[in-house]
Amino acid sequence: MTLFLQQLTNGIALGSIYSLVALGLTLVYGVLHIPNFAHGALYMLGAYVAYAMVTAFGAPYFVGVGAAIVALALIGAAVERVAFRPLGTTATPVHFIIVALGLLFFLEGLADVVWGPDFRRVESPFTDVATLFGVNITLHRILVIFASIAVMAGLFYFLKRTITGMSIEAMAQDREGALLVGIDTKRVGMITVALSAALAAVAGALIAPLVLVFPHMGEAITLKAFVIVILGGMGSVPGAIVGGFVLALAETMAGTYVAFAFSELIAFAVLVLVLALRPTGLFRKGV
Amino acid sequence: MKTWRLILVALVAVVPALGITGCSEVDENTVAIGYVGPLTTAAGLYGRNVQRGLEMAVAEINEAGGIQVGERTLELQIQSLDDQYRPDETATGARRLLQQYRTPVIFVSHAGGIRALQGMNTRQPRFLIGGYSSEPTILEAENPLTLMLPPRYDAYAPPFVEIMRERFGPRLGLIPTTTVYGRQWTQVVTAEWERQGGEVLRNNGVDYNTTTDFTGVVSRALSENPDVLFIGGPSQPTGLVIQAAREQGFQGGFLMMDQAKFEEILDVVTMEQLEGAVGVHPQATYPAPGVPGLVERYYERFGSDARTIVSEMAINYQAVHLLAVAMQLAGSTDPDAIREHVDEAAQVLPEELQILDLTSVSSLGQLQRDVYAAQVRNGEFEPFFVPAATE
Repeated sequence: MTLFLQQLTNGIALGSIYSLVALGLTLVYGVLHIPNFAHGALYMLGAYVAYAMVTAFGAPYFVGVGAAIVALALIGAAVERVAFRPLGTTATPVHFIIVALGLLFFLEGLADVVWGPDFRRVESPFTDVATLFGVNITLHRILVIFASIAVMAGLFYFLKRTITGMSIEAMAQDREGALLVGIDTKRVGMITVALSAALAAVAGALIAPLVLVFPHMGEAITLKAFVIVILGGMGSVPGAIVGGFVLALAETMAGTYVAFAFSELIAFAVLVLVLALRPTGLFRKGV
Repeated sequence: MKTWRLILVALVAVVPALGITGCSEVDENTVAIGYVGPLTTAAGLYGRNVQRGLEMAVAEINEAGGIQVGERTLELQIQSLDDQYRPDETATGARRLLQQYRTPVIFVSHAGGIRALQGMNTRQPRFLIGGYSSEPTILEAENPLTLMLPPRYDAYAPPFVEIMRERFGPRLGLIPTTTVYGRQWTQVVTAEWERQGGEVLRNNGVDYNTTTDFTGVVSRALSENPDVLFIGGPSQPTGLVIQAAREQGFQGGFLMMDQAKFEEILDVVTMEQLEGAVGVHPQATYPAPGVPGLVERYYERFGSDARTIVSEMAINYQAVHLLAVAMQLAGSTDPDAIREHVDEAAQVLPEELQILDLTSVSSLGQLQRDVYAAQVRNGEFEPFFVPAATE
């Protein structure tokens, strides 16, 4: 029982990071129909900005997280303007895939030039371990869980209650319709990519003290995020959140009760099952 | 406008081609030594540590006036290519090096790549493989032109198991990395642990390169109450495993594969968390006559750009010096002639270059030396002797 509770806690902490990364990916896909393979690179840059602030400038950890959000929102906006927008509205998905992959290699190469291949560590102010009902969890993991939930709640509020947020949703539902009712789709597109990059930055900066920061750290999680987005429904915000937790818990529990060597396999088995039974994903009605 | 674009396109197409033909000319007074290894990806740091050792040795040799081979004085040069840890890329890279630079020696830093090259290095053009892998199977090929630079890992298993069993107890939990190397290490250590009368618990192997979070797998392993955990893979992820285990209250010992290096793990964990770990000896304090000099020269050369000194750097550094001596003894840069003289070179290598206390080179190409490993006891690294494995 203790093992089960321990793994449940571990799974929820991992799931909150998965969800944050998947949210950014699903937003860009929903609004711009771009499968952003460079999303993991933005997550990686978020972790590096936090690292640079904390290590080079001696800033407190939370200032590092804040700086990562701001910096990545700006980078996201620039990416939309420089890389995605010039392709225009007539580009095929293949064009976007090529641009996104190019961006991935560029950003990873850039990080390699600036910071080198070394594994970096970000110190968290919360290193103590809490024990509850025999379950051990570091305070930083608790922070990750609550901060992620707060960010997700904030995102929901933004999408449902603000004009900008609603125009993002409108554009995701129908791009031409949005144009017809007077929404500036270019501006909304730029805001969406900036928002997506900021979400990646939150995830990267939050997880940085728990993992190793290096130029290729985003690759494994990008793959997972794509599984989550397909699982939850391409472009679905609730789908990304639920999908993130489902995948993390499936991995952890499968690892515990079957074998950890199979946990990756099980993630993709779930994906195949969803695609076979409900190809549009769990949370999306029709394509 | 259109003409300009055409010219631009033509230039873009032609310039790299010129570049390639331009540098294929190796100066007749220069010997190029090849290196194919991971310079990017998660293994990039590992590969670049190897590269740094090679380049530092070459720079030292050239600064001292090069090497005297027969009548000629030659300079050395390192030509590196990235293989991203993929054996097929290693083979492609090696072909390119042979074509462009006619490299008599190619260093490779992983077993898969070494085995890929063992299929081609005895055909024309022949070349010597400087194999940086502790995997014993690279010797099983009985390739006449392979040098195995580090000690075989199966030598470590018996003393490591004995020390950990006596110090902590009979139950061994397994959280090894799942690469080919990791699986074989696991087999060796499992067999040895059982041979010495211990109990081996469930295998919780995970891929250290793709796992984001080790807490789950550590929780699983700890639920069986192990006395010792067998861990290992690249150093820094190994550090994360140790950290997770200590955070979840594990008090026992860590038996580590030789891929994980104490000095790099200390980037992630504290010395206190590392208490009770056994693994390869830290390089910067390794008991050999040339080590203090190497440490000094390394920091002098790289200054603020210096990384933690690890055996990846030191062993390959040593190997270049060894080969340079062998080339001088052979009076030739022919790979077979070099191979013939490495054993002699190991015996006459000047003491200040004895980073590892080499004694000889076996007929299969294994560099022989007295090997020391270390365990952490009372916050200190305590060295102990590792008897050689039989070939």
